[in-house]
Amino acid sequence: MSFWEYVGNRHTQLLTDAYQHASAVFQCMVVATVLGVALGVLTYRSEWAGNLATATTATILTMPSLAMIGLLIPVVGLGVAPTVIALTLYGLLPIVRNAIVGLRGVDPTLVDAAKGIGMSRTARLLKVELPLAWPPILTGIRVATQMLMGIAAIAAYASGPGLGNEIFRGIASLGSANALNQVLSGTLGIVVLALLFDAAYVLIGRLTISRGIRA
Amino acid sequence: MSPRDTSRPRKDERPPGEHEVHGVAFRDEVTAADPALAAATAEPAPPPAATARRIGPRQAALRPAFLAAALLATWLWFRGARLDSIAHQAVDHGKVWLALRQHVELTVVSTFFVLVIAIPLGIALTRSALRRAAPVAVALANLGQAVPALGLLVLLVIWLGIGARAAVIGMVAYAVLPVLANTIAGLRGIDPTLTEAARGIGMSPLGVLRKVELPLAVPLILAGVRTALVLNVGTATLATFGGGGGLGDLISAGIITQRMPVLILGSVLTVVLALLVDWLASLAELLLRPRGLEGTV
Repeated sequence: MSFWEYVGNRHTQLLTDAYQHASAVFQCMVVATVLGVALGVLTYRSEWAGNLATATTATILTMPSLAMIGLLIPVVGLGVAPTVIALTLYGLLPIVRNAIVGLRGVDPTLVDAAKGIGMSRTARLLKVELPLAWPPILTGIRVATQMLMGIAAIAAYASGPGLGNEIFRGIASLGSANALNQVLSGTLGIVVLALLFDAAYVLIGRLTISRGIRA
Repeated sequence: MSPRDTSRPRKDERPPGEHEVHGVAFRDEVTAADPALAAATAEPAPPPAATARRIGPRQAALRPAFLAAALLATWLWFRGARLDSIAHQAVDHGKVWLALRQHVELTVVSTFFVLVIAIPLGIALTRSALRRAAPVAVALANLGQAVPALGLLVLLVIWLGIGARAAVIGMVAYAVLPVLANTIAGLRGIDPTLTEAARGIGMSPLGVLRKVELPLAVPLILAGVRTALVLNVGTATLATFGGGGGLGDLISAGIITQRMPVLILGSVLTVVLALLVDWLASLAELLLRPRGLEGTV
């Protein structure tokens, strides 16, 4: 069976897997973004806390994802739970780091000016600092998403959702005629999803980056 | 990645000769250029590059102490855990040591090949003759980075047969990019006035490369080496799916047979190994940094 015949035959299964893969990554990215930006906002003012947040999330990222999932299974069991927790944790680092770098990089004179015209602390954060720090944060989100695409594939080993299942089905039937088709469709599916997400982020960047700082 | 984010735009800004007088305008430019640059060049480099951070002496001693404690606790707990025959089968007869040794071997061998390939390639792509090809190579490598490590590894296993060879090739292919990107960024980020000065005093192109460019690029290259090592320790866990051995054997045996002690032992050993390797690489970064660059980022 050729690759395209295989894809044609199994397109419902493949589309379901692809949808679940994208949805898992997307939902975890939303949680990671909210948590990451919140962590950045809470810690960027203090040298010590900011570095601690960056160092902690960097340590998480150093851990191999299969081992992280292995440590989560005894605690939360197999399936969706370890996948979601692992994906969210791994998504944090690029966002936290870029949020802290971005917020610290905001020109203090601009913040002073905002204070001078009577903006409250919250207003300064929401209307001045975060919009200026948004481009690096968005870059962090892009980096994190690309990484999570690959980690989600590994999470399928712990009975997680997504295209990783297609790859593991191929591994289970190594040597059979369909093994290559299964692995190839899973892998290419993830590549396509990664590129689609990346294109979406470019579009989001166009729409959300404040016009004043657009390059 | 973080050193690049901050140093690249500044380098680009320097030639026009802005100074503190124009401090405000200067900084505005940097924030405006930063996202564009980060998106264009730094963005696709895998995140572990970001772990490049300076560690103080206190922190330097903290991590191995913590890792040793974690290992000791796991060992004590594992000795006390009740193992049935299936769990025994997974860990007896030196299988744990074998997996650990295979894992270290996979990491060392693939890191060696990554360095041998990526650093000369990075140097070649920054010479004037090939400079035009560099963006193409980096873009191509970035596209390749979207391929999941697991899929790449298994495709290689199907192509080359099961065993450590396919795993090593997959790991090398996967880790070449960050080191290549760091080498190119390091060599490009060098202040052109320095290389011009070296040329001016009569150094040959090779002399400039050896005595000026490479020493100045050492920190970024070392950051790339650290990235490659950490990535490889992680990717080596996937070697088990292609019969390549390593600590992934223990983890997958633990998951498949539902034997938690085996799973936890394998996972803890992998995590400790990864953090230890990262720590050793960070020490190397501190020790091998050229004297003249001390105190700089």
